[in-house]
Amino acid sequence: MSRGLRAKPGWLAGLFPWEQHAISVNGRTMAYVDEGDRDGRPVLLLHGNPTWGFLYRDFVPPLAAAGYRAIVPDWVGAGYSDKPRVDSALTTAHHIADLVSLMDQLRLRRFVIVGQDWGGPQGVGAAMQRLERLDALVLMNTWLFTGYVGRFHSSPRPWTTWHAPLVGQFFMKRHKVLSHAGASIVSRRGMTDAEARAYHHVYDEPDSDHVVLTWPRTIPMREGDRGWQDMLAIERRLPELAGIPTLLIWAPEDNVFTIDYASRLKELLPHAEGPLTFDNAAHFLQDDRGPDIASAIVEFLDRTVGRSP
Amino acid sequence: MKFITPSGQELSCLRADPLLVEQELDVRPEVARALENAAGMRAGRVFWRSEHDHLYALELGDLGRGLPSLANVYGFWDRYEPRPPEHEIDADLLDFSVWVAGVIEGMGEADVRLVAQFAQQQTGRVKVTWPEGSVLRTPDERFVDLPGYPYPPRYVEIEGLRMAYVEEGSGDPILMLHGEPTWGYLYRHMIPPLAAVGRVIVPDQIGFGRSDKPVADNAYSYRAFVRWMRKFIFELDLTRITLVCQDWGGLVGLRVVAQVPERFARLVAMNTGIPDGQVTRSEAGVVERSGLGGAFMQWRRLSQRQKEFDLPAMMKTAVRGRALSDAEAAAYGAPFPSVEYQTAALLWPRQVPVRPDHPGAYENHAAIQTLRGLELPVLLPWAEGDAITRAGEGVLRSIFRNCAPPLPIKGAGHFIQEDAGEEVAGHIARWIQQTPVA
Repeated sequence: MSRGLRAKPGWLAGLFPWEQHAISVNGRTMAYVDEGDRDGRPVLLLHGNPTWGFLYRDFVPPLAAAGYRAIVPDWVGAGYSDKPRVDSALTTAHHIADLVSLMDQLRLRRFVIVGQDWGGPQGVGAAMQRLERLDALVLMNTWLFTGYVGRFHSSPRPWTTWHAPLVGQFFMKRHKVLSHAGASIVSRRGMTDAEARAYHHVYDEPDSDHVVLTWPRTIPMREGDRGWQDMLAIERRLPELAGIPTLLIWAPEDNVFTIDYASRLKELLPHAEGPLTFDNAAHFLQDDRGPDIASAIVEFLDRTVGRSP
Repeated sequence: MKFITPSGQELSCLRADPLLVEQELDVRPEVARALENAAGMRAGRVFWRSEHDHLYALELGDLGRGLPSLANVYGFWDRYEPRPPEHEIDADLLDFSVWVAGVIEGMGEADVRLVAQFAQQQTGRVKVTWPEGSVLRTPDERFVDLPGYPYPPRYVEIEGLRMAYVEEGSGDPILMLHGEPTWGYLYRHMIPPLAAVGRVIVPDQIGFGRSDKPVADNAYSYRAFVRWMRKFIFELDLTRITLVCQDWGGLVGLRVVAQVPERFARLVAMNTGIPDGQVTRSEAGVVERSGLGGAFMQWRRLSQRQKEFDLPAMMKTAVRGRALSDAEAAAYGAPFPSVEYQTAALLWPRQVPVRPDHPGAYENHAAIQTLRGLELPVLLPWAEGDAITRAGEGVLRSIFRNCAPPLPIKGAGHFIQEDAGEEVAGHIARWIQQTPVA
């Protein structure tokens, strides 16, 4: 049983023509795009903060054209999924459980995880619970470990200040500084107004961007932090991925997940290819260099696991 | 941030509006503990008043862990009024955020300000000033060659608004405050005689005269007018003030006296009051509120049916001691090129608190208690022919203990400064000289 999704505004159709389906996961409605051959290998394209499935709009057509089944969920709290206003529905463990539920209900097997930002740990975290069904992994500007925090995430100007207790409610919720400007201000390509709006209109409603604040607060900085244990559990199981074809794709110009993060991932996943780097791209490399990165992924999948599951 | 304890009576006139809602403070126990220590409690509310005189509360809630888990910030607004301008709330919440940064170990107060600036530049959000287009300024050319008012305007900036005043003479300040629906021009007959005995300062209240005029209703509240005038006095650093006031000049000025009595030396109140909405009984046994009789209630009703004020016509009708020339009458319309400029003028009659739960009534009630304790010498020149404030003199006489003998002004109406300006100024000048202050 799932409720319907909020209607999309007319102006969005030209930019994001796909129908989103609704599925109920852990009591919340999750929205997802499901395009391409139903018998093709499922590729789960996972976004992070503060974006939604719109980030992968340049990935859906080439993957579908190459015979893959592109599945793009919006995390609960983001995009067109339900937006619970409670912290406890938006922990790492909860997000992971939501995705596992989607995988199970869609009976996905021999699938591929493509994750960036929070799409990395949450996607890999979910895959680790269904490891026998994971066939390949693509990681882009993300992290899967504790013990290293880069300059951006440890800096008080602005990062730790603008999501601090109470102070974060002022900047993030009252002023929506991240949900309304986060995607567009770091764009290398220069977004059109309509594209910027496509990212932030899902958070126009007051208090709807709870997840945009809980995500920064879940980045584990010290042992005991919210999210530390979830991340540590993923980190400890990374050796189990040794047999899974893995590709690292990186935008070294991103000041959030710098190339240091790629190096650390490479140490933890020595079998991974890459990092395959893309210039003229920042944190949201899928938006800056979408078609190029999509073809790189198609090439990697064709070469390693192929379109047929 | 200085915590205060508002009275239950004040709180009963306000509504709480949740502004910041923090659900799980206890995931960082050291932060929860720091806030508990700073607030001096684990659960409950601490209150403070902001730079804008708005009342706020931080509410902490302990859900059973032995430390605060919930942390909410509420703004308290007048129950029957819209929210104050968002940029005022933003500035106040930013001050609060800076306070939080001072409380939480590892956070920097300067970082909060810097991040606010960064957010402002990068996203256009977190604006703490008047939004573009929200404030009107009457063009200077409308004030050229006003009959009897050659004084060059001076300006100060109060909360991002330009406030105009004229100044003549020297010595201790004589601060003259106009009311509805006039401006400093009303005092032109009184400036020369009083400039001979002191430094006359005549400001235009925000929304009037040459001062800036926010367009939106919610920019103006009784509390805001009082705050602006207090900040004006601080900006010019006026002390030993003789306050001269009429109509809303008194409603505003008397509140400022109660807030900073140490800055005032004498008080001249004319055809005004400090209504707290309490029921009084006139000598004739008629029930009134705060000395506001039927004539005021009639004016209040009439004024609120107007879409726009025709100031020249209104003033020609109201001035009775002498005939206003067309040019003089036009000077009262000069500040208002169109109705958008009249927001404050159209609001003021409605903002007079006539019931105890109206915005400002509680503050006036509290101010009266302070005023009762002052030794301030008070002169009450009162127009014999002003029906609107007729009973007000008796009310003020019952508040101030050091009043000069009654000074009824024959033939004068509500705008006593027009009807008998020179005469009243003469009385005031003599009284000032006969009433030395320490």
